[in-house]
Amino acid sequence: MWKNFCSLFRKDCQMMLDGKFFLVTFGSLMIYTLFINFGYVNFMNAELYNVYLFDPQGTQQGISELIAPVTSLEELNTVLSEDVNGVGIDASSGTPDIVFYFGSEKADHHRADYALSLLRQDKQYTARTVGTNTPELKKRKEMSCELLFIEIIAVGFLGIASVLFKEKQMGVIRVHAVLPFNKSLFIVSKIMVFLLSDLIFAGWMTVLNIGFHDAAGILPNVLVQTAILSLIMSLTGFGCTLLLKDFRQFSLVYLVIAIFAAAPVFLSANTSVKMAWIDWHPFYHVYMGLKNACFGVPVTNPVYYLCSVCGIVILFQIVQTAFHKEMGKEG
Amino acid sequence: MIEVKNLTFSYRKDKQVLHGLNFTVGDGEIFGFLGPNGSGKSTAQKILTGILKGHGGYALLFGQDISTAHTQDFFSKIGVLFEFPYLYANLSAVDNLKYFSSFYPAKQLRDIGEILEKLEFKADFMKKPVSSYSKGMRQRVSMARALISSPELLFLDEPTSGLDPSGAVLFRKIIEEERKKGTTVFLTTHNMLDADLLCDRVAFITNGNIVALDTPKRLKEQNSHYRVQIEYMYQGRREEKTIEIPELEKGIPFRHDEIISIHSEEPTLEDMFIQYTGRGLS
Repeated sequence: MWKNFCSLFRKDCQMMLDGKFFLVTFGSLMIYTLFINFGYVNFMNAELYNVYLFDPQGTQQGISELIAPVTSLEELNTVLSEDVNGVGIDASSGTPDIVFYFGSEKADHHRADYALSLLRQDKQYTARTVGTNTPELKKRKEMSCELLFIEIIAVGFLGIASVLFKEKQMGVIRVHAVLPFNKSLFIVSKIMVFLLSDLIFAGWMTVLNIGFHDAAGILPNVLVQTAILSLIMSLTGFGCTLLLKDFRQFSLVYLVIAIFAAAPVFLSANTSVKMAWIDWHPFYHVYMGLKNACFGVPVTNPVYYLCSVCGIVILFQIVQTAFHKEMGKEG
Repeated sequence: MIEVKNLTFSYRKDKQVLHGLNFTVGDGEIFGFLGPNGSGKSTAQKILTGILKGHGGYALLFGQDISTAHTQDFFSKIGVLFEFPYLYANLSAVDNLKYFSSFYPAKQLRDIGEILEKLEFKADFMKKPVSSYSKGMRQRVSMARALISSPELLFLDEPTSGLDPSGAVLFRKIIEEERKKGTTVFLTTHNMLDADLLCDRVAFITNGNIVALDTPKRLKEQNSHYRVQIEYMYQGRREEKTIEIPELEKGIPFRHDEIISIHSEEPTLEDMFIQYTGRGLS
């Protein structure tokens, strides 16, 4: 079995080399790294958010000295309209409500969490961990995480399609049906090539953009989350390639995935856009798992891992069925 | 080698493509499976090679029920040539053969160079990518792939397709040599000449049914009119006459100066196919 796997793995690596996939991945890594190190960090000058509190009755105790108190709601609105990245807290009812400047489109949960963490320093908030990062490091981690997510969702997904569509067109999948090896190895080998490629990409992306010292602590968790996302995406790409007729149909599905899978996740995780159903969106949890890993907060919920494993197993079964169907097709 | 009893198959509930096939193929026999497109011959071959599951009836290969026979050991003993030359276009002939042969036990593998030479493959193309090959060259590499593992049972689907006449002759010679070594050949084809020249027995399949099964010779004989057509010269004129064969026993039964040609009116295998199935082979 090992010998057969090695044959398949070698051939898949050769196919990816011939298809210039590794070149595209390397190019992406370079572009992302240049963008983060010489563009994003320099031009998007990251500063700590200012947090303003309106608490006329003094209901909030033990607040951080980084919080600036205001005396009226009008003053809160005025200060937020001038400091569009600031976060306001209206505690006039006794319960702190987060207030962003009305026109701000940059509001995100991290800012809200950060503000609340300053308010309740003794309580548990993941944002407290975020708060230990320097503004630049926070920006680096955020952008590395987002680009890593995009890379695996988009490039990895397209990569497996480009390799597999070639094999489909050449008809060689049918030849494998009559070769003496366990047919699941054909799927496993391809998935492993992409998994390995994604893990190497994630490793370099983290080290180059977050720094070796800071990356060392978070890398194992980042790789675990990358592996989950990579397996889901490559199996999805594999299944779509087998089930769809040509690359044009695949491109449409890719757009659907980009619009309905990735967009809500980014909007919900990074902006003030609220979607009640986002908790049911599997990619949201994977994205948050990756983001938390980047910020040194590993996901410890066993349900998350159980669901991920179940999802991967179900996808593998679907792919296996589609693969057997493809092998039986006419020329 | 192969025993098939009441083999049925449906792609969907309302689309039955095989309606109870019955045939046997002996060890070392070349068995032709002839039928027009959509007749069910490829489906039958796919069931026998384990690509399609969910058939009815039963089939034995190597003495084992095919429902359980499709193990790695089974696939090690068969060689399959598909209708189209399925190869990795980015790899060379040698790399393709190295890759596909890597799944078989080393002891049963033939030498790649030797087999390509036997198939008269142009040596200077051996290391060039398959994408630069003609259809005939690709077919040669595909044949080499099917033969590389020294199979005991060879499934050939349109083996001479895409070959020039000399290539077709070469392939027929190679198939004949394989049979002499004891390999059983299951030949699926449209090509009546291949079937006539190679097969020990042929089955005509149409609409998922076998409508005739016998040796090509007997199939033709059974339907022969036992007549000959004679072309001759008489008093400077070229004439033609058709007579019953028994009439020849006492010599040419009519006046003539010179016999130009004598042709038997024995039907061809294609005539027989049309007679049995009511359809041509296109």
